[in-house]
Amino acid sequence: MADLRSRSPVLAAGAAPASAPAADPRETILSVEGLAIDIAGRNGPARIVDGISFDLRRGETLGVVGESGCGKSLSMLSLVGLLPNKIRVTGGTATFDGRDLLSMSTKELRKLRGGEIGFVFQDPMTSLNPVMRIGDQLAEPLIYHRGLSRAQARARAGELMRLVGIPGGETRLDNYPHELSGGMRQRVMIAMGLACEPSVLIADEPTTALDVTIQAQIVELVTSLRARLGMSVVWITHDLALIAGLADRLIVLYAGTIVEDAPVDDLYARPTHPYTRGLLGSIPRLAGDGTSAARLPSIGGTPPEPGRRPPGCPFAPRCHQRMPVCESRVPQLEPVSGGNPAHKVACFAARDIREAAQ
Amino acid sequence: MSAPDAAAPIELQVEPPVSLWRDAWHRLTRNRLAMAGLVIVAILTFLAVFGPWIAPYDFLAQDLDARNQAPSLLHLFGTDDLGRDVFSRVIYGARTAFVVAIVVTAIAVVIGVVLGAAAGYFGGLLDTFVMWLTDVTMSIPNLLLVVVINTSLKPPLARWMEARYLETLDPIYRNSIWIDFVLVFGSMALITWPPYARLVRAQVLSIRNRPYVTAARALGLPTLTILMRYIVPNALGSLIVAVSAGLGTAMVLESAFSFLGVGVNPPAPSWGNMISDGLRVWQHHPHLLAAPAILLGIATVGFSFLGDGLNDALNPKGMK
Repeated sequence: MADLRSRSPVLAAGAAPASAPAADPRETILSVEGLAIDIAGRNGPARIVDGISFDLRRGETLGVVGESGCGKSLSMLSLVGLLPNKIRVTGGTATFDGRDLLSMSTKELRKLRGGEIGFVFQDPMTSLNPVMRIGDQLAEPLIYHRGLSRAQARARAGELMRLVGIPGGETRLDNYPHELSGGMRQRVMIAMGLACEPSVLIADEPTTALDVTIQAQIVELVTSLRARLGMSVVWITHDLALIAGLADRLIVLYAGTIVEDAPVDDLYARPTHPYTRGLLGSIPRLAGDGTSAARLPSIGGTPPEPGRRPPGCPFAPRCHQRMPVCESRVPQLEPVSGGNPAHKVACFAARDIREAAQ
Repeated sequence: MSAPDAAAPIELQVEPPVSLWRDAWHRLTRNRLAMAGLVIVAILTFLAVFGPWIAPYDFLAQDLDARNQAPSLLHLFGTDDLGRDVFSRVIYGARTAFVVAIVVTAIAVVIGVVLGAAAGYFGGLLDTFVMWLTDVTMSIPNLLLVVVINTSLKPPLARWMEARYLETLDPIYRNSIWIDFVLVFGSMALITWPPYARLVRAQVLSIRNRPYVTAARALGLPTLTILMRYIVPNALGSLIVAVSAGLGTAMVLESAFSFLGVGVNPPAPSWGNMISDGLRVWQHHPHLLAAPAILLGIATVGFSFLGDGLNDALNPKGMK
């Protein structure tokens, strides 16, 4: 037990925050370049994710935003070899900590998953095995990745339960998932994702199935754990209001492409892509007198199906700022001239929109 | 170490953990028919296990002075044409029925779970092959297969036993009863596994895409662990129901084969061959037919009540 404690930055939480890994905070841990994913269909493969690129630095939180089906989850799952049948990566590179993810063997990927890259999934109600005690489920990755004995793993599982703020901590190890509330289960999921102290935690809409007060608790929990453990977080969501207080940087996905990539403050201060603006505009807001404003604006139309994407900008059919060029050429993701070079937008009208907004 | 403040307002639950199984048990005990089935099965199991201590006579002991007697205090179910006590033979018959049912079902379930789980989880060619195998097996008439196996394998096996006996003089090789058993186990397991394989495959197909399986894969657990600890246990509910029904079916099947003379052969006691013997003289000695037939009926009803009850207890969503 004692050596376990001294080896583990998580368990030495009483110590100063200096116990976090002393790596260069600006070092890139995960780098994705031109990732493309295809799904096999009757009429040949259809492209779901079309060349997305991003870098994740140590300790950074990256928000990935977009509506359902835009490829947010798939691109993350593809990095660790968890794509469903018939869906495969057809292009691009992905490097994790200097290693090429896309050419790794199944066995190496398995070591990576849960060990160095942790996952938290959307639905805590169904993401835990209903016939296994929570303690056993928490212990599983520790036994497999860390080679702990069952007793050691159980002790560690109890500490993890405390770490994620489950009241009663290790006394809940013998509970079955159905005996816990949704929020508690999501804490257990987070504990599982963190069990082996991964350097990257991928949280796939972890708060979508929870009510607002619990959402806030989970966000707070992940933020505090990230600070304590010095890990990077990729937070997939469609909730722009939630991610604002959480992420360092946001990428906005639409129909499998990145349409906007910006530091979080810059994005909210100067949203540029019409899609991002549409998303932000459709967040409900209370008017000054406490009543809701007029009818909530929404983006008309639906995203194009994979395989039926327009030849030009994928958002063009739904876009109010559409110009003739949008229907024939695909805009590239690039900084808007005169703006923050870290704020990149894939839109021909970016400059006009920027100026009109000021 | 202090927990994050966010957790403070949530209260502690004080109840002890309740497992899914205990929950199911609770539902089972409230179902009267199921309890009746459980009691019948329990009594039969008791008879089968403690048969030698309960039976008043040896099942082979003949009393030629007391042949074909009607039921009396001395012989509860009367005696047969060789003066053997029918009550004792029926109890030993329960032993036969249970041993056959349990061994056959166990073999069939193991084959079914392994093939079905592998087919469902890995899919592809393996799945096609396993499903093809179950279709082929199910398309062969049961009775025909058992007759073929018995008639083709039994004589050479018996000859080999005879030769071994002459060679070694070991009395083990003289007992022909267990050849019957081995053949019955083997042939019946061979025809009863496909439904289990199909059931498990279907369950695995639906379970393997559940979020907790993806979550387990995202934890990097090995495939075998995922199959054995995440998928198969969640398919267990339906499997238990199928096994409970399958035990009853296997008993009837054993009796049917023994009745036709391709199962357990006399002098080994089996309800099937007792019914077959009793049928010839039922007009004069109806008790010889009634005793094994009624017991077989009760056993079948017991297992099917229990199976239904388990189904309701383990799959409560289907219950109104």
